Amino acid sequence: MGKLKFILALWMAKLSIPALKITHHSGTDFPGNLALKICPDFLRYVGRPKTIVAITGTNGKTTVSNMLSDILESNGYRVMSNRAGANVASGIATTFIRSCGLFGRISKYDIAVLEVDERSSVKVYPYVTPDFVAITNLSRDSIMRNAHPDFIAGILTSTIPASTKMILNADDLISCGVAPDNPRVHFGIDRLPTDVTACVNLINDMRICPKCLGKLEYEYLRYHHIGKAVCRDCGFHSPDSEFLARDVDFENHTVTIRENGQDYAYPLITDNVINTYNILTVITTLRQLGLEPEAIRHSLERTVIDTTRYAQEKVGKVTLVKQMSKDLNAMAGSRVFDYISHLPGQKEVYLMMNNMGDAANWSENTCWLYDADFEFLNRDDIVQIVCAGPRALDYKLRLLMAGVPEEKIACDLSEEKAAELLRFTPGDDIYYLYGADAWGLTNRMYDYLKKLALQRAADKEVQQ
Amino acid sequence: MRVEILYPEICNLCGELMNMRYLKQCCPDMEVISTDLKSRPVFLDEAVDLVYLGSTTEKGLQLVVNALTPVKDELTAKIDAGQRMLVTGNALDAIGLDVTSDDGLKFDGLGLLPTHARYQMMRRHNSFFLGKFGEDITIMGFKSLFGHTYDAPEENGLFTVTRGVGRNPASSLEGFRRGNLMATYLTGPLLVLNPDFTRWLLREMGFVCEKLAFEDAAMDAYRQRLTEFSDERRNPIG
Repeated sequence: MGKLKFILALWMAKLSIPALKITHHSGTDFPGNLALKICPDFLRYVGRPKTIVAITGTNGKTTVSNMLSDILESNGYRVMSNRAGANVASGIATTFIRSCGLFGRISKYDIAVLEVDERSSVKVYPYVTPDFVAITNLSRDSIMRNAHPDFIAGILTSTIPASTKMILNADDLISCGVAPDNPRVHFGIDRLPTDVTACVNLINDMRICPKCLGKLEYEYLRYHHIGKAVCRDCGFHSPDSEFLARDVDFENHTVTIRENGQDYAYPLITDNVINTYNILTVITTLRQLGLEPEAIRHSLERTVIDTTRYAQEKVGKVTLVKQMSKDLNAMAGSRVFDYISHLPGQKEVYLMMNNMGDAANWSENTCWLYDADFEFLNRDDIVQIVCAGPRALDYKLRLLMAGVPEEKIACDLSEEKAAELLRFTPGDDIYYLYGADAWGLTNRMYDYLKKLALQRAADKEVQQ
Repeated sequence: MRVEILYPEICNLCGELMNMRYLKQCCPDMEVISTDLKSRPVFLDEAVDLVYLGSTTEKGLQLVVNALTPVKDELTAKIDAGQRMLVTGNALDAIGLDVTSDDGLKFDGLGLLPTHARYQMMRRHNSFFLGKFGEDITIMGFKSLFGHTYDAPEENGLFTVTRGVGRNPASSLEGFRRGNLMATYLTGPLLVLNPDFTRWLLREMGFVCEKLAFEDAAMDAYRQRLTEFSDERRNPIG
């Protein structure tokens, strides 16, 4: 009966694909949704390629999945991936539907690279057993959806099949605790000159030893709980990295990875630590799949990290920097604030990380503002912070609590009026921080900021 | 003036430690004591004006219970003698009778409050709350929890519900009050979001301040939120 239901679900879903194409809805997860409605355990019956790699984690899973797929394809693998769809069960089901034949067999692909939303694990892993699960990192996300990372780690532990090999970040003790009995391999980054030993962030979700509850000390700490920890009470410590990045050189874009006592040089196609971890996840996964370092190196040289979340251009007399900072996500905000704070130049910041969906019908839960390190914005070279949108007044209060002088803060509930409050001082870098749920508004406001920057530049010319 | 934060190494979710930072910003001379899981709470032996316990993970709740169980009788006696204590978010469940969840989690709390918490781990409850503290003080906040608490007598609430969900969807009371023990399921920076309540609390603690820290900005944000929470077109359940 189950198999019959599956065939019915598959055919109905496949039939929906041309219909969606005709109606210009081909990018949706409708086929997967339909299949799962007809046959809830659809993923149990559908065929699969020889190897399945799942990528999960709080941040970086899209970047890692896309890089993995690109590099595998450039090395001759036929890759099935859900990059065009969603990372929840319906998106993954859609990927399988599009990739399989009329009876569910998958013969056109060697490997599946699946980006899997952490919470969706419960609907995916019971049916699709990955050969490898790579966890980029686990940290606080939206408290409304994901509660806290320990909850997410628990979901992953209870759903990932026992045979799956885990690819884990040794510098992240939360993800290291996932599926403790599974086979595993770790990657990590050796001490960096910028590392510290005491946490400067508001969030550190690994303060106590998971074994004895003693206070964890960090031999080095990068940010939040990311670093190398040790418990002086019981000797517990972070695992060693079988793939250890050393000599990280952001200036010359090179990194050495020590593997089995041997050093391999790779190009480092980023200038920040977060993407270095993403690249390390990719390299470690590719090595598990049997790619040689030389092939990986060659592919990385031709790889570009997706920068849709970051862009900068000179407009008028200022530089406009567009940077996504995921709304409702304190960790994402903190990383962006920290990154900006370390960049040279005089800065004006335009904060618009409101969740516009909540603003329309509910009222955004602002707890995350009080977990995010707005303190990083309290710097002399940040000369103005403009708060925009429905939560502008909350941003202002939070900035004051972070020690930012009131005279530096301007705000308006209207995004346009707030933008007009920016100074656009010639030579300044204007950082436009936006959330992830309102692309139309995001783009419209970017255009408006550009228009204002040009206008102000023209005004300055006239004055001179 | 002294406040004691219990177990900030684990009770630190939802930005709730900012409650104590805000108090410190209101009263710069205030002493803030942080007590970790392996230490005896200071308030059991010395005068402390406010003890604070905030949200944590489900494992964290059990650690809190384990840490306080050896001193449960002393804690109860202190509370009944008038010790002031503020408990926010799911930390309320650590001082209730017990917690059960649909994934098999089950443990007893400290039994200071007559209530039973029930969690549904894959059905997280999110809502905003509008209510009253006493006759005059309007309270606003958010809930982001795995469940509610049930079977307590409909009395001794901390807040009354105007909009949103109280102890559970059927209750018109939110949180609990036992003498000077104030426990609420509201998560996040309750004191930052509610300047009137904070002013009242500080006065109770014997601190009279002309103005709270950043009071104008706090009141602006408060009024904006009040407009939104009072808007009948907005459903409190997120």
